[in-house]
Amino acid sequence: MASGAGPTTLPHRSVTNIRSGPSQGPPGPSSPHTPPRNIASVYGSPSTVRADDEIIVVEIGSRFIRAGFAGDSLPKATVQCGPEQQRRAGDFRAWQTLARKPGQAWSAEHEVWRYDLREVDIGLVRDKLDRLLRDAFTKHLLLDSRPRRTALVLDSDLPLPLVSAVLDTVFDRFQTPMVSLLSSATMSTVAAGTRSALIVNMGWSETVITSVYEYREVKTTRTVRGGRYLLDELYSKLLLPLVTDERQPDNADRVISFEEAEDIMCRLMWCRPSASRLSQRDSAQLETVEEQDESDVETPTNATPSTGTTQVPFNSTVPPRTVDVAFESLGNVCDDVFFDPSAPVASFDDHELPVHLVVYQHLLQLPIDVRAICMSRIIFTGGCSAILGLKERVVDEVSSMVDRRGWEPVSGKGAEKHNQKLQGRGAKGSSPGETSPPHEISQAELLLNPAHAEPEYDSVEAKIERYRYHDQPVQGKLRALHSLGPWAGASLMCQLKISAMATIDRELWQQQGSFGASKPNEVDFKAQQRQSMGAGGLIRGSGGHHMNWTLGAWGAV
Amino acid sequence: MAFTAPYTYIQCPCSSDHTDLDHGDQIAQDAIENDDEHTFDPRAPRSNYSLYPLEYLLYCEECQQIRCPKCVNEEIVTYFCPNCLFEVPSSNLRSEGNRCTRSCFQCPVCTSPVQAGEIPNEPDPTLLGADNNPTAHVSYALFCQYCNWSSSEIGIEFDRPSGIPAQLAKVKNGGEPKITAKDLKERRKENPDEPPVADELVDTELQFANLKSFFQAQLSDSTGVLGNLSLGDGAGFSSPAALSRIMTLYTAGRGQPGRQRGPPDTMREALSTDDGLRIAQLDESAEVKKLFRGGWDETVSREQTLAQLEPARFQDELRPTQCTLRTKRSKRCAVCRHIISKPENKVASTRFKIRLVAKNYIPSISIRPLKPTASGIPVGLRPSVQIEKPLRPLQPCQYIVTFTNPLFESIKVTLATPNSTPGRFSSRVTLLCPEFEVDANTDMWDDALRDDGDLKKRDDSNGQAEAGKIYERGRNWVSVVLEVIPPSLRVENLDLTAKPGEAVDKSPLKEDEDILEIPMFIRIEWEAEAQHDITGAAGRDKDAREKRELAYWCVLGVGQISHD
Repeated sequence: MASGAGPTTLPHRSVTNIRSGPSQGPPGPSSPHTPPRNIASVYGSPSTVRADDEIIVVEIGSRFIRAGFAGDSLPKATVQCGPEQQRRAGDFRAWQTLARKPGQAWSAEHEVWRYDLREVDIGLVRDKLDRLLRDAFTKHLLLDSRPRRTALVLDSDLPLPLVSAVLDTVFDRFQTPMVSLLSSATMSTVAAGTRSALIVNMGWSETVITSVYEYREVKTTRTVRGGRYLLDELYSKLLLPLVTDERQPDNADRVISFEEAEDIMCRLMWCRPSASRLSQRDSAQLETVEEQDESDVETPTNATPSTGTTQVPFNSTVPPRTVDVAFESLGNVCDDVFFDPSAPVASFDDHELPVHLVVYQHLLQLPIDVRAICMSRIIFTGGCSAILGLKERVVDEVSSMVDRRGWEPVSGKGAEKHNQKLQGRGAKGSSPGETSPPHEISQAELLLNPAHAEPEYDSVEAKIERYRYHDQPVQGKLRALHSLGPWAGASLMCQLKISAMATIDRELWQQQGSFGASKPNEVDFKAQQRQSMGAGGLIRGSGGHHMNWTLGAWGAV
Repeated sequence: MAFTAPYTYIQCPCSSDHTDLDHGDQIAQDAIENDDEHTFDPRAPRSNYSLYPLEYLLYCEECQQIRCPKCVNEEIVTYFCPNCLFEVPSSNLRSEGNRCTRSCFQCPVCTSPVQAGEIPNEPDPTLLGADNNPTAHVSYALFCQYCNWSSSEIGIEFDRPSGIPAQLAKVKNGGEPKITAKDLKERRKENPDEPPVADELVDTELQFANLKSFFQAQLSDSTGVLGNLSLGDGAGFSSPAALSRIMTLYTAGRGQPGRQRGPPDTMREALSTDDGLRIAQLDESAEVKKLFRGGWDETVSREQTLAQLEPARFQDELRPTQCTLRTKRSKRCAVCRHIISKPENKVASTRFKIRLVAKNYIPSISIRPLKPTASGIPVGLRPSVQIEKPLRPLQPCQYIVTFTNPLFESIKVTLATPNSTPGRFSSRVTLLCPEFEVDANTDMWDDALRDDGDLKKRDDSNGQAEAGKIYERGRNWVSVVLEVIPPSLRVENLDLTAKPGEAVDKSPLKEDEDILEIPMFIRIEWEAEAQHDITGAAGRDKDAREKRELAYWCVLGVGQISHD
């Protein structure tokens, strides 16, 4: 499985990220599992109950940190990293009425980190994390400083220095005895109840598309068309001309504060339905499509009645004012940012392909089995997926591309000509799940040919057959699923006591740091699983030191 | 960095101990090596995380070190609701979450507390003759006293004015009953053929519950038998795991004879709503229409949605939230585990049993201009902040820095400041008297009763700004003069001061860059009674006294520099 880890995927990236008991796949159907211990806590001593039960799940993204207890459906705290949170202790200007000057840094000071480490001060990231986590733990989770196990949900592409900054903070400042690292894409899959999925994470810094197959991350592609890009475009194309007529020099202060611009983006942004909204999408799977005439495409019925404007108050401009914002232009900005329909495909750089194109190409590059499974389990996560109509548009655009081009990796005029020739001969364009038409077989041939003979009864085969899925998994058609999100997935995993592959012990980390991490395949998981399941770390003191441990998908030095 | 200069901030020494002990990180290593020579830059973004006003700091007597909120361990004394001041036992916390379960709700619009009240019924004209009908159905809603929001706006009304949390938990916005996993189970029991709930009715909680039961069922399916197998490993029966395995040996295997033996090869994925599968609702055209109709005012602001449990988009999706509980915490030194702050248990009490605040151990520093430009505030208008005029660029300006000694021993203070402050716009700083002694904090009356001659003898102050001499001296305080030449804040002038070949950052003025902050390194030495000595008499001995010192960085916020 996970056969075709694409050319861009590093070998260690494609390896399973969570050690979910049953997902061990190939090595025999009955590798021993530790049973989920629901009863254990009844017999354990009270102290270990507490230490064991309260696992804190922390999801760290580039804008938000979510924290809560394992087993809850929603995080207890969602904290944001803004300049007001970065003030000195005792500086109460955040509560004063006078608005801050918008400044130049704008989005940079609202982020926990950036993946481009040239711009990142690791020490500052640690300080920020420390303050945000402390804030979440004391104000919302009401925790004291006793050591607690923590599960960290991180993007599996997080650079190693940032991972080690996070781990340093968690181990040094919060006395966590053990940390499990969970990948957010896999956790989103879990939170949708599936084993495989195509995660379209429309986040702040990028839109990342990850295909998860049998809980393994198979391939990742990305584009910069995410929240930050949208906000910058919204500011420069729509808000700036509304507020001022002058041309702004490049390094001038912004005229609107980040908070207000972001507020507009979150509150008012919407996305037009696609032009091919009415094409042959499987209406039963997705929704009931209203019957519409093809000619209506230009004025989609569900986007009108002529969108109009809304009044938005700005406090950060000088002087404060109220401005009319047209929904039409908001829709234009959204179109341009995520789909860029006006530009030809060839004009995009690799890092800025429109979202639907990235999704299509991602699926195209997947091995056919993986593609068939993943395309009917598309999961949208991330802040930008909350933009009204955006998910539908992406799915529509992708399905229309599939209709138009099929799963043909080669496109262009030459390929079209070639295809026409082939079609002339009656060949079909390949599509997943489709099998070649069965031969006509004569009765006599059936009897003679050993290939068609009735197979002998095989008890093993029968047993396998009995436990096969009764219905084939849905595959081969585009379908979007709703996921509860990475945090909820991690919360589920931790509650079910499924231990993560990357489980890091505090002592080992403090002795060895990220240099001590081995490659995932060098680690004795059974031992580690036993260790991490061990009540209150009794085993840890004795046998823990000569054990290998890994950072899993986050890599080894 | 507070807006009202002058002010002082102190850097907790804990922040420099562990600066980037990144394993093998060469840059970080270099940083540590350079740390001693390196001047603390109050404007560096990291310094915001290590600077505290004196009032925020505690002091550990055992370690004789300043302790900031980052370098203490906390223990929770009480959990309480800030609204009803009810003390919540810690055992309830796990079952009921971190919110007040009594009727303490916050308005989702303005966060002020809401109260349950009767909904004023429109008098029905047909019943004009009859008196208030006692059987008439009275319903209740939550009302915000501040912004007039009421829960009827989101379609939630209650039958009783008490037990609001329980009632609210059963209703969705709009008044429809909420489907919980428990209801569903019961319904399923009564009517096994009932179709699963429609996807659009499934909310986060229900989906989570479905997923959880699905995964649990799958895991126990696949591990139930295997659990039995591993019994043969000779695992000790004393472990709780072994016990649980024995328990399941009989219940799981034989209890259900219809159950198929042997695990399925893999855990399957969720296939229906009951398994937690939920097809995404892609068609959002209704919401888009609603957005167009309602516009800006219909949507929820960032602050409002952050206060919600689940993210909301429209005003009618807001729900009143219960107040988050608060805690009273005692603090221990992270190094020696001694308690350094312990509040009283009672919620209403603001007193502390133990509280070792840094103000009692390190000198407090205040700063004021030698020639104040702001006139005094008349008594009638006090308290009000006296705002000094901005500093004139390139004009020397003198300040009086006063050190007040809280200790009962006299202290020797050594100060150090960089000649020019770090940052783009650097000011020239001169301390006229960097070394001096501050007398002990003796009884207040000692000062009054002491005869003049004694005072004169010690008096090395001259009331004038003169190099090497202190400005003024009192019972337990000393003032020295600090001379500052503020820079010009013009970006164009940066070229003049820059070294040749260096790139000049000519971006416009950033926030707070016009505030003159001076980093100052303070070292205090004093002789204290040796700690192991308990008897007072022996403590007076010369040899029983021990020398102590404390050194830390602090930041003096002098004032704002004029922009022209």
